[in-house]
Amino acid sequence: MAICPKGHDSANDDFCDTCGLRIAGRPSPGSTEGTGSVASGGYADSGSPSGRPAPGPPPVMGTPSAATGAAGAGEPCPRCGTPRVGQFCETCGYKFGADQPPWPPAPPALAPSPDLSPPSTPWPPPSSQPSPSSQPPWTLAPSAPSAQSGLSTRSAPSVPSVPSVPIAQPVSPRPPLAPSSPAPAVWTAVVSADRQYYESVQAVGGPDMAAVSFPGYYAERQFRLAGGQMRIGRRSVSRGIEPEIDLTGPPADPGISRLHAVLIATPDGNWAVLDPGSANGTLVNGSEIPTDVQVPLQDGDRINLGGWTAITVHRG
Amino acid sequence: MTESGFTVDVDQNEYLPEGGREVSAIVTVASAADAAGLASPGPAGAEPDGSAEIIIIDCSGSMEYPRTKIAAARAATAAAVDVVRDGVLFSVIAGTNLAFSVFPADGSMARADASSRAAAKQAVAGLRAGGGTAIGQWLDLARQTFARYPARLRHAILLTDGKNQHESSEQLAATVSQCEGFFSCDCRGIGTDWEVKELRTISTALLGSVDIVPDPSGLAADFEAMMANAMGKQVADVVLQVWTPQHATVKFVKQVAPTVDDLTDRRTPSGPQAGDYPTGAWGPGESRDYHVGVEVTPAGLGDVMLAARVKLLAKSASGTDVLGQGLVRATWTDDEALSTKINPGVAHYTGQAELAAAIQEGLEARKAGDEETATAKLGRAVALAHQSGNEDTAKLLAKVVDVVDVETGRVRLKKQVEDADEMALDTRSTKTVRARK
Repeated sequence: MAICPKGHDSANDDFCDTCGLRIAGRPSPGSTEGTGSVASGGYADSGSPSGRPAPGPPPVMGTPSAATGAAGAGEPCPRCGTPRVGQFCETCGYKFGADQPPWPPAPPALAPSPDLSPPSTPWPPPSSQPSPSSQPPWTLAPSAPSAQSGLSTRSAPSVPSVPSVPIAQPVSPRPPLAPSSPAPAVWTAVVSADRQYYESVQAVGGPDMAAVSFPGYYAERQFRLAGGQMRIGRRSVSRGIEPEIDLTGPPADPGISRLHAVLIATPDGNWAVLDPGSANGTLVNGSEIPTDVQVPLQDGDRINLGGWTAITVHRG
Repeated sequence: MTESGFTVDVDQNEYLPEGGREVSAIVTVASAADAAGLASPGPAGAEPDGSAEIIIIDCSGSMEYPRTKIAAARAATAAAVDVVRDGVLFSVIAGTNLAFSVFPADGSMARADASSRAAAKQAVAGLRAGGGTAIGQWLDLARQTFARYPARLRHAILLTDGKNQHESSEQLAATVSQCEGFFSCDCRGIGTDWEVKELRTISTALLGSVDIVPDPSGLAADFEAMMANAMGKQVADVVLQVWTPQHATVKFVKQVAPTVDDLTDRRTPSGPQAGDYPTGAWGPGESRDYHVGVEVTPAGLGDVMLAARVKLLAKSASGTDVLGQGLVRATWTDDEALSTKINPGVAHYTGQAELAAAIQEGLEARKAGDEETATAKLGRAVALAHQSGNEDTAKLLAKVVDVVDVETGRVRLKKQVEDADEMALDTRSTKTVRARK
């Protein structure tokens, strides 16, 4: 039993039984001319030893493979998830093997807060709602103001570190949030295509409904919630909008605004969602949330936006 | 020679440009020159479950017009019976709008020896013509007769002089598909009143040859040759098993030498990503070329992939023997000098397949009265035959068209063409010449 460069088990040790790639260590074909007769009466395959370095472990999704030679035909594209067919992704054009991260640089996960490029729309709107604390979600009230160094440059009033800053009550009555445990809770958001939501949107109708169709293929994507906030939307270079959760796709959900919603870390270690005024609104667990109101989230809550997108948050 | 007595050689240009998908190769399968070299036990017929032969003779009324036809059929059958080796099972069937067993008269098969051969020839001498033509009935009786006995190699010779008038083409097609894989059949048409297409559908499905015998006096020699060829077969039910990797498809598998025969639609799935293509029975000293086309999902530059693993298998009641294997490779390169070369064997056989198609299409157009198409197609055939050195086909073409310029393929249709010449060109259009290595 041999293992091929892509990790398949193969009974044949010359070429993989599944994907056909030559198995490392096997000799390469003897003839170097373009046309040559390769006589092979039996199973023996003679030739010079392979000069290529032995390929490493099979490529992992999201990891750009440094060697273009270690081609992983069929590996999912880190951007859109489509199975790889060649050097370039057939769907989004991502170039495999290039030294580029799957998306334009995301803010470092462990930084106290992302350095925001000033968005053209003032955010957060200078309303009565206090700006969220911008300290890392897993710490409790820091004992000294110095812990706030390197925080956001937003013009929001410097927020006291005490987590007693009131958060506007959500519209739907919710049970009070349990105080966060001393151990850091890791929140993840899973983006998926939601058939039920799509059908409910279709039932409502609207001027552009014909343009929205449910995607034939959607690879679920996971995002770890970190930093003080995670913007949800679709990237716009001209407007300087680079959301952390970028739903540009493909498949593209045209019902999602460029800056559609924001996941905000609350001081007690949980997360909330806020809709700053998207074109089509945002639902949490089936109910639409009002604009500019932070809605605290619990483990398993489902956020629906656009024509068919669902973001489910998990606290783990 | 390998111990099975078979060799499988692959000739191809394995280099593809970046993103290239099409892989083409010529696979040459050859058997050992002498019977002892082939792995299977001795010539078939030596043991009880060896060979079985049936000769099917058209006895419709037209065989008496002229009487030389039925006389030649009797003589040819007798000649073929004499070639049947001792121990081989055989029988003779006469066909009209029904079919009946001539020898043995009870529908069984006789084991060949001096006395059974003499009895058979006596029965055949009494054959008379009279009745219609329903070839499906004849094949069906042959199938039932064969089915009564175990045998490794089953072969039939079928002779007709006319069109299948007493059954529908659907009935014939249904019977033929029942016989497929059970016995092989070489078809001959005597005179010019039969339909080439009809016999060709039978011979291709039943892995045999088809030819015209324009002159009754040539029939005996032809029958003897067919029977001797059948007697020489040793390994039955040989298939080409083609395995391709995931995300790859077999575009075609065609036999290209000694005759063109497209096997692509006769694939039987045989395991994950693999399919079997039938090649019938093999005797010693045979060599056949196959053109295999595969479309693969491109890998990266520098990768080497197996586009197809071609195995030669012999299927029998006791299991499957692997007789040989050939590897069709794909290597992606940015060296254009390597990837743009066309393998001469592939080019040659692509041309031969086009030649066969051009002849058949040209003759069809001519029959339909479409002279323009006929001239164009047959002209192309003349050019291809000349380029590939296929002199036999060139000679046959010269009987149907006047050649103006052989290089460019400018021709004129002859006003008067003998039916026999046209049918000879049609039946032998599939004969190819070998690629020069």
